[in-house]
Order: sequence, then C-alpha cells, then structure tokens
Amino acid sequence: MVALARKTLFREWSRFVPAILAIGFAGVLLIMQAALVLGIFGSAAIYVDATSAEIWAGYPGTQSVSLGRPVQRDLEMWLRMDPEVTAVEPMYWVDGDWRSENSRGGVSVYVTGVNADKHGLMYDKILPEHLRRQLLEPNAVIVDRSDLDSLGVSVGDDAWIDGKRVHVVAAIQGLRALGGVNVITSLQTAHILGATGVTYFVAKLKDPTQTQAVIQRMSGQATFGRYELWSASDFAWRSQQYWMMDTGAGAAVLFLAAIVFVVGAVITSQSLTAVVIASSREYATLNALGAGMNALRRVVLSQAVWIGSFGMVLGGIISTALLIAAKECDVPIGMTPMVAVICVVLIFGLAIVSGFIAMAGLLRADPAILMR
Amino acid sequence: MSLHSENKKPSLIADKISKSFTSGLIQIQILSELSIAILPAELTLISGPSGCGKSTLLSILSGLQSPDSGTTWAEDKALSRASKRELERFRLYHTGFIFQGFNLFPALTASEQIELPLSYLGLGKAECRKRAVEALHEVGLGHRIQQRPAELSGGEKQRVAIARALAKRPQYLFADEPTSALDAASGQTVINILRQIAHQHGSTVLCVSHDHRLIQHADRVLEMEDGMIHHDWRATNPPPDHQATHSHFLAQQGAAETRRQDPLA
Repeated sequence: MVALARKTLFREWSRFVPAILAIGFAGVLLIMQAALVLGIFGSAAIYVDATSAEIWAGYPGTQSVSLGRPVQRDLEMWLRMDPEVTAVEPMYWVDGDWRSENSRGGVSVYVTGVNADKHGLMYDKILPEHLRRQLLEPNAVIVDRSDLDSLGVSVGDDAWIDGKRVHVVAAIQGLRALGGVNVITSLQTAHILGATGVTYFVAKLKDPTQTQAVIQRMSGQATFGRYELWSASDFAWRSQQYWMMDTGAGAAVLFLAAIVFVVGAVITSQSLTAVVIASSREYATLNALGAGMNALRRVVLSQAVWIGSFGMVLGGIISTALLIAAKECDVPIGMTPMVAVICVVLIFGLAIVSGFIAMAGLLRADPAILMR
Repeated sequence: MSLHSENKKPSLIADKISKSFTSGLIQIQILSELSIAILPAELTLISGPSGCGKSTLLSILSGLQSPDSGTTWAEDKALSRASKRELERFRLYHTGFIFQGFNLFPALTASEQIELPLSYLGLGKAECRKRAVEALHEVGLGHRIQQRPAELSGGEKQRVAIARALAKRPQYLFADEPTSALDAASGQTVINILRQIAHQHGSTVLCVSHDHRLIQHADRVLEMEDGMIHHDWRATNPPPDHQATHSHFLAQQGAAETRRQDPLA
C-alpha cells in the first residue's frame, strides 16, 4: 500500500504546519497546566514528600497536613512498641504571624517544629546535615529562598513570629507552601514560638513493604486517645486532594483542560479539513476508481495520527524547555510518569478527534464533481 | 434506434433514463427518457454542445450517479439499483476513469499514482509495481516512472492518469474530455491510446468530448443535444454532413498507420 498520508505530509509539510502547531500548543497548555497543578497542589504535601518516614499519625479525619490538631504525647510510646518501627519523632505545627523590619505588615506563616538531630526523619530529603546543625541554634529558622522577599528578610536577618524573635539561618529550595509561607524550626524553637502539643508523629519502618500491616495492627487503640494512622503516600494524596477537590480548584483545572481540548480540536480539525478539501478532487478520483470511503477515511485518520505525533514532539520540546525555565525561576511545578502518559493520551486523542471531524471534508470528494 | 450493427452483446445499457437538477427554484431536465446500448471493444464517443447532458450521461452509465428514473445495466448488473458499496466494488473491479483534470496527488511519483488504486484491489506490492511500470511503458512514460506531477508536462500528466486507469485492466474505460487540456500532439497520443485500449484489450471505451480529432477516431459517435441523442453513427457509415471530415480522416489514416502501430512514437 502506497503510504499516501505520510508521503503527502512529508512532501507538502507546509500545508500541515497550522495543524501541527495547533496540536503542539494545545499539548504545551495541557502539560504546563498539569505541571503547575502538580507543583502548586503538590506543595500541600511537601511536609510528607520531603520526609522519608513511612507512617504518619495524626488527629482522626485530618484532611490536609496543614489542618492537623494535637494528639496525645504517649502515642509515641504505642508506636515504638511495634517491632517493625525503628524510629518515631514528633512534629509541631504552629500557625504564626511573621513580621520583619522590611516586611509590609504581617505574613501568615506555617511553622513546623522538627527533630533537627543528624538522624532526624522530618525533612530529611531536603535538609542536609549542616543545615540541621544550624537549626539546633535557639530561635533559628529556615525558609524557602523564593519567600525571602515576601518575608522581607535575607539570610542572617532577624524577624518576629507572634512577637518572638527568630533568626534566619538558611534559605533552601523546594519548601514553598500553599496559602502561606513555610518556616522550619527545631522542636525547641517551636516550643518557644508557642507550640502546645504534638500535631503529628512520624514513624520509620524496618521494611517499608510492611506499612499497611503496621497501620492495621497499630490502629484503633483507644488507650492512646483519638488518632489515625496513614501511609505517607495516602496522607500526601489526601492533602493534595483536599486542595484540589474541596476548594473547587480541581474542578476549575479540569474545566480549563476541557476548554484547551475543545479549542485545540476545533483549530486542528479546521486546519486538517482545509487540507482534505484541497485534495478533494484527488480523493474523488480515488473513489471513482473504487477506493471506498472507509479507505479514504483511513488516509485522513492516518494523517491525523502523523500530525498528532509531530505536534506531540513539538509540544514536548517546548514544554520541557518551559519546565526547566520554571524550575530555575522557583515556579512550583511537578510531573509524574502517570500524568505525562495522560497528557500524551489526551494529545493523541485530540489529534484523532480532529481527524474524525476532518473526515467531513471527504463529503466533497464526490466523484460526480469530476464530470462537471 | 439502431443500436448495434454487429453481433456483439451490449456491455452497457441505459433504458429510458431521466435526470434533472434543481438550481434555486428552477428544475432543469438534463436527460429525458434516454435509451442507449454501448458495445464492447470499440471507442464510443458522446459529443455535443456544452450543457447537452453528455457528462451526466457518462456519469450515470459509469455508476458515479444514479438516474432519477430508468435503469442502467453493466452486462447483467443493474447499476441504477445497486447500493453505494456495490457501486464502489463495481468501479473498483471493472472500471477505469480519465478526467479532464488530471487529479494526480502532488506527493506521489508517476508509479505510485498508479500503484495506489491497484493496492485497493488487494494486489501485492510487487504486482502493483509491475503493473504500474507496464502501464507507464504502454503510454510511453517508461522513462518518467519516478517523476512527480510538478515535473511532468500536461500531456504527460494525462498519460499518467490514463495509465492509472489502464493498469486496472478495466472492462470499462470512461473518459471525460480527456484531450481538452492538451496540445495537438499530446491530444493525438491520448486518442490513439484510447482506441488501442478498445481494440487490443477489448474494453468498452466510452468517451465524452467535443474535440473533433476524437470524432474522427471514434468507432461510433453519439451526437447529443438537449438531453437527447440526435445522431448515432459509425465510422464505417458516417452521415452526409460528416462525409468530408471522414474522408479526410481516412486519407490521413494511411500516413498515420505507422504511428498507430506505436501510438506513442
């Protein structure tokens, strides 16, 4: 079979450029939107994702890390009793009001008091040993480098949280928060800043594959007050889901994705239809010679698949460049293999849908027109 | 109407076919209860002024359009009652078409233009290629196999279109003004090829044209006017008003005989 679709596309590529651009930019919009959503809402779970503990223990029904309430202190003992658990440590959550000499008014901050020891579990993925050591200084805090401006400080400056002096010892990357500013302190400094109780306990296991088994046997022990255990991945997902779904942001994102899809399909199909109509006499001749309409539809669809492939490569290159630039500028972005696959499927779906719409152009390929 | 002078069974028959088109509020009757039988192995020409309905008759006889009333037959098959799918199959396996416009895909080489419709017949790649090369040689384009339409002259393009129709080895070959866009030399070549296909391959060649060169070479001429056939005559028995033209043609035949042996010389 002569590869009519491919040969036409390669030979007359300029006619297909608008369709390829339409697919490519629809792809960029979908990918960047997904990356921003993952980045923004992923920051709701930064506390979990930056920590290597497998189990989180908190107040029952907690929807998001930032919405925790105190649990009983002796829960730590209960967790330590399980032979699978190798380490347990508390985490304090304090909502505070940040003021500095250069800040314009107060800034809402989320203070997380963590074990700053060398082998501490909390934030072990983003806090190297030398920073943990610095955190051990009284009143030391660490913030995200992109928040320095809004906090009105530089590294080495002093500021006040709820009227208590703190000292910015370092600024790191990857700590941006959703709806506020994250501030890391040691457990001791958190006490000074007004922490009244443990908000979470995090636990490390010998064998991470035993997470669900440990959660099952350690749950529901009323002696240690009201608490609930979650695996780290469940708690991270729960936090992100809360911000995406319960705040309505997720629905807005899906709505926007649908708009991108529809607009992309309209532009691509119109470009493809114009190409089909331009070749209607050739298609009509093929039909007169006995090539069935289904065979002609396959040619159009195969052109759509080629356009989708080229568009995806174009969109992929542009998106990669934009993602790298965004990362450099501390714009919160994220991407997972699953989401990348969904984007690819959507872009291909867009091309296929456009191909089906463009098939309408074949209605003009009536061989009777050739004899007028 | 005297339809056939020889003992050949007609290969195409139109029985009282009518066709009209609506243009705005006006209905235009193109064909009115027209009956005709076309014989195989000869070049039949439908001629007449613009708008007389000759192209409509051709498209109905070839199964591209259905008549409003009446029946068309291709041997024993009633084309006018066939479904769209059946008509596509009929066209695929039995017909070849040559149109006024060449309608070649710009991206395909001369050989690929021919291989493409052949592939729909279910032929293997090698067989398609072989037939395409043979057909291009038959129309004298053996040296232009890899050329694309942009690299071919008008006459060469029309010859590729003829080779495309020819390669299917069709039982029926329909041509609509095949020479109107061609210069004298290219037109003559195309005429010779059409005649050769009818006589050597035994195909039914039905051609619509107002080109007088074609009239001289046709085995049979159907003269149409206002949707009716006014004259139906054969090269062996032309009407008086065509005698002079025909004599001139016969005189030329001797000189052209050598060329006809090799129509592409």
